[in-house]
Amino acid sequence: MKQTLDERFLISPFLVFFIVHATQVGVGMLGFQRPLMEDAGQDAWMAVLLAGLATHVLIWLMYRLLAYSPSGGDIVSLHKHYFGRWFGGVLSIGLLAYYALAAFTVLQSYIEIIKVWMFPLMGAWQFSLIFLMLTYYVISGGFRVVAGLCFWGVVIPLATIFPMMAFAFEYAQYRNLLPVLDHSPTQILKAVNDMAFQYLGFEVLLMYYPFLKNAPSSQKWAHASNVLTIFLYLVVILISIIFYNKEQIAHITWPTLTLAKIPEVPFIERMEYIVISIYVLVVFPNLVVAVWAMARVVKQLFSIRQRRSLPVLIACLFIGTLFFEEKSDIERFIQWTSKSGLFLIGVYIPLLYVYVWVVEKVKKSLQQKQ
Amino acid sequence: MGMKRWLACLLGLLLLGGCANSRPIDQIQIIQQMGYDFKDDQYIGTAVYPTFKQGPMTKPNMLTTSSPTVYDLIPRLSAKSALPIEEGQLRLILFGKQFAERGIEQITHSLARNNKVGSHLFLGVAEGSAKELLDITAKTTLSDTLYLPNLIKQNEQSMNLPKTNLHLFLYRYFSPGSDPFLPYFEKKGGFVKLEGVALFRDGRYVGHVDLRDSFLMKILLGETKNGVYQLKVGERGKQGEDRVMLQNLWAKPTYKWRRDGDRHVLDVFVHIHASVRDYPSWLDEPGANLFTDVKKKMEKELEQDMRRLFHYFQEKRIDPMGIGDFVRSVTRRWDRESFYREYPDLDIRPHVTVDIIHTGIGE
Repeated sequence: MKQTLDERFLISPFLVFFIVHATQVGVGMLGFQRPLMEDAGQDAWMAVLLAGLATHVLIWLMYRLLAYSPSGGDIVSLHKHYFGRWFGGVLSIGLLAYYALAAFTVLQSYIEIIKVWMFPLMGAWQFSLIFLMLTYYVISGGFRVVAGLCFWGVVIPLATIFPMMAFAFEYAQYRNLLPVLDHSPTQILKAVNDMAFQYLGFEVLLMYYPFLKNAPSSQKWAHASNVLTIFLYLVVILISIIFYNKEQIAHITWPTLTLAKIPEVPFIERMEYIVISIYVLVVFPNLVVAVWAMARVVKQLFSIRQRRSLPVLIACLFIGTLFFEEKSDIERFIQWTSKSGLFLIGVYIPLLYVYVWVVEKVKKSLQQKQ
Repeated sequence: MGMKRWLACLLGLLLLGGCANSRPIDQIQIIQQMGYDFKDDQYIGTAVYPTFKQGPMTKPNMLTTSSPTVYDLIPRLSAKSALPIEEGQLRLILFGKQFAERGIEQITHSLARNNKVGSHLFLGVAEGSAKELLDITAKTTLSDTLYLPNLIKQNEQSMNLPKTNLHLFLYRYFSPGSDPFLPYFEKKGGFVKLEGVALFRDGRYVGHVDLRDSFLMKILLGETKNGVYQLKVGERGKQGEDRVMLQNLWAKPTYKWRRDGDRHVLDVFVHIHASVRDYPSWLDEPGANLFTDVKKKMEKELEQDMRRLFHYFQEKRIDPMGIGDFVRSVTRRWDRESFYREYPDLDIRPHVTVDIIHTGIGE
């Protein structure tokens, strides 16, 4: 069994607030409105709310599950403990594949935005090289540096991009919100399903749980963080509903970025370029945390030091970006990430919890009999 | 060793930074206005760009080309330009009437997809050819290369023109419950004059209303401030002696949708807070409270004008006021088809209340 980490590697429980939020919000924030409004029109905000509440339940479940982990370990040690070295290892490799997919999708979809909006002639490799070098630099600094990055990745965009949303009120058509509840429950549930993907990211908690000082006490911060995420998504969807109509939004790939075309200030005419640039700070923690989680799984599984595994993992991601540049590829990756992420969080984790819970119950009753 | 490695990385980053293509301002052709015409089975594109002379003087210049297709126009313009053409500063796109009658969907969809143009871009319709109008503004203005965009902005902010721009156009164009409209220009002698509002049905120009009616449109759309309206309040016969000039200070429309028997009725309540800028001298007679009487007359005339305007829209089967969208917001499972089947016969009843806040600093 693994011993607990040295205290100098740990972070304060309240920092979970920033990590969870930084990993939840990403490129998806720029374009989540479209599928949502296609399904549920002006009632899309309900889907945002419902999916957010479901996320609360899953966060709670994750904390309950991790509490069973032997001596405050992560999910890899939990797998090993309950499923043995081999089968547990296979499950952990599945997790590794998921994190890799998530990291790759984040990288690709942000590069796509950069290419469409700012540098159409730039090759994907140029940007991904810079990005991945920075990723290496941050992760080699340890988890505390990753957490610090998440902190700034939340604070700076929140202070700069978020207030810009208010400019859209100039064109607000409040009647777009009416009539409330004009869609059937199935339509809204379909939108909830689309929306659930946007809340993903908090499942990296399964890996960094042991890095939290007094980990169970951080649960309230994770929930608070999710509240902030719900709030942000809710504000953005409400503004999008009153700013666009349903048919119009179907023609816009990144409604949030098109919203950023509205503010007009004398010294800079096109705010969306500023937004895209600052958005590096939103996307970067997504990538870094996912890559960090990959390296962590590798370390826990094969006892390979992160310093050795990290260059290999990053090189794999880099080579990947060379091959998939087409929009249809990227969309397919987003689909896969979305499906596997929802499976992991919505099906696998609850099942695992039930299994662990039953095993513990049985163990206890056997012990009592003896 | 470690230091050297990081220096190498830094150098690499700097080198990569040079990969983006930069475009200094004096090495590009910034198009500020674009005109589209259709003439003799050919599309004609006109681009107005500023050339920077010494000091603050800029001179508008023009490029024109024709092509059998719309998309080909900008590449063909490039073939006439010494510098690469950039459309990021585009402020106005003017459509010739003939072009607009054929439909502007192609351009609209292209603009909706174009990330380079801003949402504040103005669109407009020219009575004759767009090229001619742009030509006039390029000739008559000395250094103002943005004459027409400024004209639109000024009239939206302080006069009768309802707000329009690319975002609002796309919003109304895509909305199932409304139709778009744009400013309408005419050539008057050697000048360009804003003549009213051009109306569209599904991206096709179908007619226009004058600036007087556009005041009513502005109010009915819920734009609360500005605009002037001349009303006839007496029957004295002498020119100018029986009209008052109303200036809107604050107005609010309220729509009500109800069923009356087997028909639907749309009540439109408009409350206008206005100041009377000019009024005939006989209204000034001391002691007599003629204003209450005049107010009634004004309300009546406004109601009549609104009814006439709505009838015009209904006849043309267009909905620039977004009535369909309003009805959608108060109807569960709103059905576009059946609503617009009923639309031409819809009973629309305007009810106007005018409050005269003041009459200037003189009595």
